[in-house]
Amino acid sequence: MNPPASLALRTTLTPTTPVLRAAVASLWRPEGLRQRYPRYLAAMHTLVRASVPLLERTAARCAELEGPAARRLATYCARHAEEERGHDLWLLDDLAAAGARPDVVPHPVAVELAGAQYYRTEHEHPVTLLGYIAVLEGNAPGPRLADRLAATTGLPEGAFRTLRAHAELDGGHVDDLYRVLDELPLTPVLRTAVSVSALHTANLLTRLFLSLAAADPGGQP
Amino acid sequence: MTDAPAPYDGPLPYDAPAHGDDTPSPGSPPEPTLDALVAAGFDVDALSEEQHEVLRTLTPEELALLVDIRGRLDAAAPEVQAHADVAGGALF
Repeated sequence: MNPPASLALRTTLTPTTPVLRAAVASLWRPEGLRQRYPRYLAAMHTLVRASVPLLERTAARCAELEGPAARRLATYCARHAEEERGHDLWLLDDLAAAGARPDVVPHPVAVELAGAQYYRTEHEHPVTLLGYIAVLEGNAPGPRLADRLAATTGLPEGAFRTLRAHAELDGGHVDDLYRVLDELPLTPVLRTAVSVSALHTANLLTRLFLSLAAADPGGQP
Repeated sequence: MTDAPAPYDGPLPYDAPAHGDDTPSPGSPPEPTLDALVAAGFDVDALSEEQHEVLRTLTPEELALLVDIRGRLDAAAPEVQAHADVAGGALF
């Protein structure tokens, strides 16, 4: 008997967590963080601005399928799109408060992250988006991160709104996602497709954070 | 680039296979998967038997991605590796 899909996905992602979080922690090292933090915000803006359109497109693809499972997934995507709506604007506000602007040329790895999901939704199966969301929502900021970064960088409080809000929001979001995943009657192959989407996402995010952490910030705190 | 038809067009129904069929790929017996994770540097001893059961059934695609992810940490600078036990993410 197969374990619940949520247990299988959580287990498959477990080995990725220390790697991804090491990459994140290196991003937050104090040296040069004041210059590095706005670059992180800009990369997150590139990523987050695609969230609502991706969810809406996935809901639309579900509408092309038949059956209660597709309807359940479409309902989840439509609801989650409303939860995420406007968060890209928060990031623009954070960037402005930090004295920075969004990237004119989006970070290539952020483009790969969102672009892979467009491909999977269009050409593989819309349910694969759940793997992507599981990684994003499963790696929400800790509750004290914004305070720590504000103290280290000296940037104004307004530069940390998105971090602070998601430390409070995303815990419930990930539970909701795993509940939906368990409700869908997925074949083993589609469960694997969700898992591969999640692992691909974790891999690209590790690349993104290592890239941001390695960028020369000018050596100033 | 050829005009050969794709294995399938458009999204699949929930009861249709995504990659042709549900048969495990040849050459991927279950137990070596755990060994491959250990060889890549993952600590699987702390996981429960239920979790081991899940990892034993990873497909080659899943295993390859996990090994690739681990390799990114191994290839990173020592100061990055030192943060491997730090809690907290940064995603929305």
